Amino acid sequence: MPKEDSTIFSSYQRDPSLFDEIYDKKGQVKEVYKTLFQLYGGHSIPDYMTLNEKARSSFFNQGITFQVYDDKQMQEKIFPFDLFPRIIDGKEWEIIEKGAIQRSRALNLFLWDIYHEKKILKQGVVPLELISSSENYLHQMMDVDPPGGIYNHISGTDIIKHNDGKYYVLEDNIRCPSGVSYVICNRTALKRALFGVFNHYETHTVTNYAENLLDLLESVKPHGADVPNTVVITPGMYNSAFYEHSYLAKTMGVELVEGRDLFVENDFVYMRTIKGPEKVDIIYRRIDDQFLDPLEFRADSSLGVPGLFSAYKKGNVTLANAPGTGVADDKAVYTYMPEIIKYYLDETPILNNVHTYHCSRPKELAYVLDHIHELVIKPVDEAGGYGISIGNRLTKKEIATVKKQIQEHPRKYVAQPIMSLSVHPTYIDETNSFEQRHVDLRTFTILGKDKDFVLKGGLTRVALKKGNLIVNSSQGGGSKDTWVLK
Amino acid sequence: MLARVANNLFWMGRYIERSEHIARYMHVNYFSSLDAPNELSRSRQFVLNSMLRMIGDPEAKENEVLNEEEVLFKLALDPAHPFSILSNVKYARENANSARDLISTDLYESINKFYHFVLKYPEQHFLKKGLYDFCINIIEMSSILRGRIRSTLLHDEVYAIIMLGVNLERANQLIRIINAKYHDALNAQGSYGDKFSKSFEWTTLLKCAESYDMMRRFYKKTPTSLTTLEFLILNPNCPRSMMNSFNQIYTHIRVLDNSFKYDKDSTAFLVGRVRAEYQYKYVEEIEGNIKEYIEAMLKNLADIGNKMENEFFHY
Repeated sequence: MPKEDSTIFSSYQRDPSLFDEIYDKKGQVKEVYKTLFQLYGGHSIPDYMTLNEKARSSFFNQGITFQVYDDKQMQEKIFPFDLFPRIIDGKEWEIIEKGAIQRSRALNLFLWDIYHEKKILKQGVVPLELISSSENYLHQMMDVDPPGGIYNHISGTDIIKHNDGKYYVLEDNIRCPSGVSYVICNRTALKRALFGVFNHYETHTVTNYAENLLDLLESVKPHGADVPNTVVITPGMYNSAFYEHSYLAKTMGVELVEGRDLFVENDFVYMRTIKGPEKVDIIYRRIDDQFLDPLEFRADSSLGVPGLFSAYKKGNVTLANAPGTGVADDKAVYTYMPEIIKYYLDETPILNNVHTYHCSRPKELAYVLDHIHELVIKPVDEAGGYGISIGNRLTKKEIATVKKQIQEHPRKYVAQPIMSLSVHPTYIDETNSFEQRHVDLRTFTILGKDKDFVLKGGLTRVALKKGNLIVNSSQGGGSKDTWVLK
Repeated sequence: MLARVANNLFWMGRYIERSEHIARYMHVNYFSSLDAPNELSRSRQFVLNSMLRMIGDPEAKENEVLNEEEVLFKLALDPAHPFSILSNVKYARENANSARDLISTDLYESINKFYHFVLKYPEQHFLKKGLYDFCINIIEMSSILRGRIRSTLLHDEVYAIIMLGVNLERANQLIRIINAKYHDALNAQGSYGDKFSKSFEWTTLLKCAESYDMMRRFYKKTPTSLTTLEFLILNPNCPRSMMNSFNQIYTHIRVLDNSFKYDKDSTAFLVGRVRAEYQYKYVEEIEGNIKEYIEAMLKNLADIGNKMENEFFHY
């Protein structure tokens, strides 16, 4: 049992080989964390346990849960949330923000190019087979002009801090990046449990996301829609991200629809309301490309709307993100980001890219096969942290299997040096104390016509298992509130 | 508003209202029977049968002895029984889930809390000593929900749809309760000279409809069959009465359909017609023919529900 007089930080152990975000180079608690450290350190263990319970019930009551099935019964669980926030000071944030916008803009120009003139491919800056062999390339999008010229309206950029203290981008998510609702819920839960700590810091709000999203979506309305009617389309209430879909619809004040609520007539999209059909102009879609329209893509899709793509091609409806953006968030395209940014914007990347070896190139393939033990091997087209092998964790037998897989499908794999994610003090239930855990950061960027927006904050994801580097919620990750200071 | 979502919200309103009525019926009947003036009304079998009748379940066959715990479990916490309070609250939440973007955060959070309360209520505690606590909590939580519906939603179509569900269900439940207690009053006749018109069951009926205090204030007399039915069916100022529900239904249907000239096939037209019929009725007409009127009222409500379905929810 914890002793009454010991505080939650008294047993915090620092592993010097890890980059701990709350300490400076000299091993002192950083200036920005000092107050926080003191405030949290003032709590006794039982006291903190109560607070933690409060935060949990806040999520539970808000209904921010996912469902798991055990033996017979369905159970609701919350996404683990850590009460100790991560702080990013204003100057550091500026770099992240500029870097995220730069990447989103470059990717947007890249998408326009590869679905129109393909200059970048013709000039050999990015190899043609990278695109032609991608499963996410939609030939149907060729020569289609998305309203406002925007493809990746919403981007989620996954960023880490390496042990050199610099930020690196791990991934650009520009299909249907999720998680933004958790940024806001985390803030709400933290306020409910520990409102006092906010008095000591000036933190940017995160609740302005929805208004900016609606504003920027409306900036790319289809031609002829004066007062555009926007909707969010969801696969339905049993989807694991349904809470987020409903949250976004509610906070934007727009309808949340399912495929069956919409229909297309004469290439215009309508929704079925209690007063008959109503025209829809902008669709923030949270269903994948392949399910959008059974007439054009997967014929067995019951989630989509027959004829939707045809309406889109005619320019009568905006889809955000545009179909076919997946081709650019492919992990192989990621490795060309410095070239892509240079090519379209004539700028050097603000955020670092992790050096990547392409197994499709014979020379690099040979290097990868020789150095597996010091590399992370990733399939180029998997999401959610699946299929990743971390070289120094593999047994000899496993290394042999991975090698074989790579040799069979070299195009399917890329390799990167093992990046060490920074760590952050995280409350661990089992030991009732704070321990170091690896974290990353997902930022949310919105592009509109001549406008952009980055949410000041983001989703700090925590790998709750000791030593684990994979932070995805589907693999037992939690999250933290993230403060960007004014 | 989407037709599909409107349908879900309509049913959310109905399920919330339904769970409250079942909870009140259970505890009022159970507790009033404990010291009822005649032997039959005091018998546990009588009460349990009355509960089954109210939720529309088959009553005990002749010589069958009902098990108290089984009946109470069935009405309250049985996940397999579609009319149990647990099922109702579950459906209410599921419907709220699908319309989460339209209802207020406060309302959703209350529904969610309500659901978790029922889901987590320990079965044994309920059966052994929690009947009152459980029922009172259900009633209180549904009052909170009604308060949140009224005070945290914009009074527009969304609100109108929910209120239509609430009021249609309230009227429906009231008739079911009248029906069940009418049977009880008939059955309990004779013992200790209890007359039908002055049966103790009328007091219980009023309590089941949360109208006893209001009724006493209005008539200042012990309830009889005549005054009870008049109050519960025809008095427009009693918020639980049939007449009041019809007035509410009329107000809210006019939000959805405010056309100046009625279409005779519209729901609004039907509601207006039914409402007018009860506006100009007197209680003696009903009291002589209770059975017939109960059936007629149930049919009226079913017709209104079907009309609404075709006019607004068809998608």
